[in-house]
Amino acid sequence: MSATAHPFATRSARGRQLERMTFTVFRVATYFVLLCGLLVFGDIFVKGAHTVFQSEFPYVNVPFLTEAPESLYVFEHNGKKMELGDRAFRAFQSSEAARARAENRPVPRFKAESYVYSAGGIWPCIVGTVLLVVGSMTIALTLGVSSAIYLNEYAKDGPGVRFIRLAVLNLAGVPSIVFGLFGFGLFVIFLDWNVSLLAGWFTLAFMVLPVIITASEEALKAVPKGFREGSLALGATKWQTIRTNVLPYALPGVLTSSILGIARVAGETAPIMFTAAYVVRDKLPWEVDRLGDFFFQGVMALPYHIYVVSSKIPQNEYTARVQYGTAFVFLFIVALIALASIVFRNRMRRIYKW
Amino acid sequence: MVTATTQRSMATSTLFAIKVPPSQDLGTNRTLIEIENLDFSYGPKQALYDINLKLEEKRVTAFIGPSGCGKTTLLRCLNRMNDLIDGTVIGRGSIRINGVDIHGRGVDSIELRKRVGMVFQKSNPFPKSIYENVIYGLRIQGENDKTRLDAIVEKSLRGAALWDEVKDRLHESGLGLSGGQQQRLCIARAIAVEPEVILMDEPCSALDPVATAKIEELIQELRSHFTIVIVTHNMQQAARCSDRTAFFYLGKLIEYADTRTIFMKPANSQTEAYVSGRFG
Amino acid sequence: MPPESTPPATFRIGKARTRFFGLTLDETIKAFFGGNALMAVVVLALITFFLFREGFDFFTQNQHSIRVYREAGLEFVDYIRQQEQDHTALTRYLSDVRLRTLQHFTGHEGLTLAEANSRLEGFDAFAGRYGEAVDPLRGLVSELTEVATEIKTKYQIIEDMKEKRRQLLAEGKTAEADAVIVARVDFKTELGPLIATLPAYKETSDQFATTLRETLALAPALPTPELQKRMERFRELNSDYLVGFPVVLRQLEEWDYTKPVPAWHAFTGFIFGRQWLTASFWQDWYGVVPLFVGSLMVSAIALMLAVPLGVGAAIYISQIASAREQRLVKPAIEFISAIPSVVLGFFGIAVLGQILRTLSQFDSLRWVPGFPFAERLNALTAGCLLALIAVPTIFTLAEDAINNVPRSFLEASLALGASRLQTILRIIIPASLSGIVSAVLLGLGRVIGETMVVLLCAGNRIEIPDFTQGLVAVVQPVHTMTGIIAQEMGEVVRGSIHYRALFMVGILLFLIALLLNFLAQKIVRKYRISIG
Repeated sequence: MSATAHPFATRSARGRQLERMTFTVFRVATYFVLLCGLLVFGDIFVKGAHTVFQSEFPYVNVPFLTEAPESLYVFEHNGKKMELGDRAFRAFQSSEAARARAENRPVPRFKAESYVYSAGGIWPCIVGTVLLVVGSMTIALTLGVSSAIYLNEYAKDGPGVRFIRLAVLNLAGVPSIVFGLFGFGLFVIFLDWNVSLLAGWFTLAFMVLPVIITASEEALKAVPKGFREGSLALGATKWQTIRTNVLPYALPGVLTSSILGIARVAGETAPIMFTAAYVVRDKLPWEVDRLGDFFFQGVMALPYHIYVVSSKIPQNEYTARVQYGTAFVFLFIVALIALASIVFRNRMRRIYKW
Repeated sequence: MVTATTQRSMATSTLFAIKVPPSQDLGTNRTLIEIENLDFSYGPKQALYDINLKLEEKRVTAFIGPSGCGKTTLLRCLNRMNDLIDGTVIGRGSIRINGVDIHGRGVDSIELRKRVGMVFQKSNPFPKSIYENVIYGLRIQGENDKTRLDAIVEKSLRGAALWDEVKDRLHESGLGLSGGQQQRLCIARAIAVEPEVILMDEPCSALDPVATAKIEELIQELRSHFTIVIVTHNMQQAARCSDRTAFFYLGKLIEYADTRTIFMKPANSQTEAYVSGRFG
Repeated sequence: MPPESTPPATFRIGKARTRFFGLTLDETIKAFFGGNALMAVVVLALITFFLFREGFDFFTQNQHSIRVYREAGLEFVDYIRQQEQDHTALTRYLSDVRLRTLQHFTGHEGLTLAEANSRLEGFDAFAGRYGEAVDPLRGLVSELTEVATEIKTKYQIIEDMKEKRRQLLAEGKTAEADAVIVARVDFKTELGPLIATLPAYKETSDQFATTLRETLALAPALPTPELQKRMERFRELNSDYLVGFPVVLRQLEEWDYTKPVPAWHAFTGFIFGRQWLTASFWQDWYGVVPLFVGSLMVSAIALMLAVPLGVGAAIYISQIASAREQRLVKPAIEFISAIPSVVLGFFGIAVLGQILRTLSQFDSLRWVPGFPFAERLNALTAGCLLALIAVPTIFTLAEDAINNVPRSFLEASLALGASRLQTILRIIIPASLSGIVSAVLLGLGRVIGETMVVLLCAGNRIEIPDFTQGLVAVVQPVHTMTGIIAQEMGEVVRGSIHYRALFMVGILLFLIALLLNFLAQKIVRKYRISIG
């Protein structure tokens, strides 16, 4: 009996095998990408966890999160290897010197190797990043949501609107370093704001503007047309309609997608390199004489700190701690934001179905 | 006399398969809406040609005609909803309601829409409570007096024959209602602002026969208080619940007369072809 | 008018609304939103304006710099220096031949190193003579270098004086300004000694040519035909080189410091310049080619990896995977795009660079071009990381494009008896090709504009990669356009030519980004299949 005799016989084995093989290749590609992503996350989380967590109470390395960066001094003392931060090292030196004088010994000199930024914590960087994100997102959301309302609710299709859309589209493709250059040219030099929070806010806000506009427009589009017509037919003005019958339903969508913008703002280094970030700054942002100074001060920021500690200091066991620790905290924050946005969006899709 | 009429109408109904209500002398009411020589276009595409129509007060007027004949367009002209669509142009002519040119100077389209309410093809309750849905129009006018609002909600819902079904769940979402109930909620919402005119754009096209019957019944009740213009695809519906019928074809008004006349002895052969189901 | 149509008092549809500046409240609100929407246009305009504002002066400054290069006689000296450097390149060729011969002796003939070296004594004597032949010329070059440097320094001091005086005048200190003496450089006299060396050069050069010819005649025979062929090639190269001598001489004779530098030189010097040399004692060059090539190479590596992976994953997720898999994998890939680039850069420095280098040293992987390599940070490391950045972009956009293919296409194909694979390859992919191509273009835009990864991981050596050896170039360290801005912007003097050159690189990046965006949109619009 021949299997191929009837017209619905199965295809040739080779054909099926080829298909299965091709599908396997595609599947491998997919999972390879995931694996690479996992590798990056895994490496930084595992190694960073050593810095950020500890085995005894309170389990979290609190000083690392709450102190400013210091230099680390590594030296031998009485045959023991000592690692001390800047302040601790100086205190140790003077106490040793005092003890030596009391015992009439010569004052000991410590031959210490120093590693900058490798002791202490990253508190000022966390503060700076939060300030940058909050400020720039406020600006970007105001501008972006308003633009989206105009484009989606008011504007009539025409050359003007098409031009605006073209600008948004192109703005989205501009490299972040170019935004940095622009911010430097406009805010830092032309407006003479110097390297400051304000300059960073505007640079970052302009950078995420296209993201916010696109996301907000999508959220507005998802609100059914009937809501608007129904309201207008009852004699509501355009603005009343938007305020009471469009924005409330678009807002969750706007905010969700804007979280992605937050991740972008928090994660970018290039735009703040010349506009807002300091390599090191002793004072915390609120330690200013006048309120006005607050806006015109540079800050430390997590992404820039990672750049500094990974390129300006050598790689070794002492510096790796602060490098991985900073990367861990930073990645953790950004990943949390991104995760929130993805979870939120999926929930939203389920809840808001009209 | 009644028997004779019934017999005659029976005879017609076998020919056109449409039941026409027994004749009654309508008389002539005051003209409320007057459309004169109206040309209308969407950008380069003209949708209405030289429409002349007088709609009477407290009557139900039905607009019928095949898809794309301009009936909905004309309806939306009456409360200037077409203003919201890009590139719409009134080429010529005017629409007067109560003698006021609605495109005239000093006319505010928003005020106009408060007086000319509209019910849409697809029911569109807002995702708010039933109560909030009904008072939406009053809220945006700044009405906040709770006792007054309560009274209006009851009156409107009763007016829309919905009160008994929803009185225990006024604060639940309007989206939880059935399709027919949602549409009646939209009617309640429209009558809450007490307009002179209610425009209905195929209000039953998405509903099942039972819900449709209820809405039709409601229209009969509403006509004593409001002037109603209804666009419909369904000729039985036009026959059942309208007093006057206007037949449109390709953007032109072909015939406008008593509903009975349109369905029983139309003057125009196109009208006859349409109502007898030979095209459209 | 019939009496009944007079409006009763109840029907009032006119209303006087409060107006601000002639606008009703609603119109004011609309204007506010419209103003915000214009912001996108304004920002784009501002970016363009400020990039050009800071960058455009580059051309005048560069032209000036090239003029000084000429007037101070640096150009004159560089003609001779080029002659010297060409000789050095030939010497390198010769040492390569020596290495190969040595390998032949130790490898094929099984000689010990000492024996092999002794066999090469004749060759070494020849190579020695050949190398020394250039010495008089080299001496001349270094003498002339000093002369030219002196002129340039003199000129620069005077320029500084001028600047000082201008500043004093600007501050209103006229008396002090007058006290600053601004001399003028008389290039003609200053250049006198330089030009006077022409006869000496001619003599040296002739002598050099004779020595070379004599030496070449003594070239030793080499053991194998293959090596002998290389020696022949060396002779050819030399005769070409010698032919060039009169050309150099003519250049020097015709050289005229008063010859004006055309304005377009400043432009071509930037766009086609093969050197990016800053803070040099001799002459700074701002040629963008090495940076551009670096950016391009890193991006090419990234796309080579990211396109198959991203598009493959998109096809898999949208066409093959189960709904459950889709729900899990899609957000996971999108999640990767949330990794900040600086973290990826750090990962490259700390982990990936080392992994790749170790990998390259496995014997079983020797066949891969460029393996093994010694530099941890190079174009390959940066390219791999950039691929991880590009994959989510390409994946998301390509998946969208594939999902936009109407379901009816798929069903029609399956109904005709095509297998799933055939349907994917013949229907789905062709139908979504324009979307996929534009996804790749946008991915390219993303990686070419990426800064932190290349700054940290590309090795930052400003040199055009050596493509003569083929694919080996991918493991060479490179520098990129984005990287150079990030690295040097913080250190340059505002308003200096170097500062403006960096802005010019920014402008170039900006234009490339706009171009890619434009192409992506154009492709989508032009080749979009008409649906419905």
